[in-house]
Amino acid sequence: MVQYSPKLDGTFGALADPTRRGILERLGRADAAISELAAEFDMTLTGIKKHVRVLETAGLVTTEKVGRVRHCKLGPRRLDDEAAWIATYRRMLEGRLNRLGEFLERTRRKP
Amino acid sequence: MTTATAKHEPTTKAVITKPSDREVRIERVFNASRDRVWKAMTDPKLVAQWWGRGNKLDIERLEVRRGGHWRFVEHSDHGDHGFEGRFAEVTPPARIVQTFEWDGLPGHVALETMTLEDLGDGRTKIITTSLFLTTEDRDGMLQSGMEGGLNESYAALDRVLAAMA
Repeated sequence: MVQYSPKLDGTFGALADPTRRGILERLGRADAAISELAAEFDMTLTGIKKHVRVLETAGLVTTEKVGRVRHCKLGPRRLDDEAAWIATYRRMLEGRLNRLGEFLERTRRKP
Repeated sequence: MTTATAKHEPTTKAVITKPSDREVRIERVFNASRDRVWKAMTDPKLVAQWWGRGNKLDIERLEVRRGGHWRFVEHSDHGDHGFEGRFAEVTPPARIVQTFEWDGLPGHVALETMTLEDLGDGRTKIITTSLFLTTEDRDGMLQSGMEGGLNESYAALDRVLAAMA
């Protein structure tokens, strides 16, 4: 059942970013520490933490601090990927149509 | 819903509705003739200029005919994303039906129907309806007809093999 709730809007924003989709895909294979993700995605710890926080807020990832290491794994909403994908798709399609509109305006005088 | 505002700004705002949980419908009016819109949607050189939403786009295939294959790869700072599908119906300059699949979620196929409506005043309305075929749908299919069909086929095969023995 798809519900366009605030929670889903969060998922929608979370999935709109390719790095965050990459993180989900990576965590789908195995849990990882923030530092591992940073190394694998060639990003700073701060940068990765920001992405992970967005995913965590959307319920797609959960994190747990063990000692000095923060571990990440897929969150409780991972089974909702179909709904999230439909929302992402909708935004993509809207973006494409906007670009098409701009393109048609830009090329108005040409054949 | 954006319906109210869209009525006042038909050339810039899309009207998005959700006819069902598995469908997304977007209507948008373009300030261009239907032939121009059709060309922008089917000529690879033109498609490359808008489909990527500002990202660099490689058009690997765009065979605009029934059964033809399309495949685009969008390059962003964070990676490459491939999209592809096949054309189920091509009726210039009025209608395209195609499948849509993202490399990132293989198997989650959407069926897109794009209708171009000539508004008669130099403008064109595009209506896209996307129907998502889901894992649940597929599971449902397996549990009902298809499984039965397969079992019947196997039963027939058994009979043939038995007759040959």
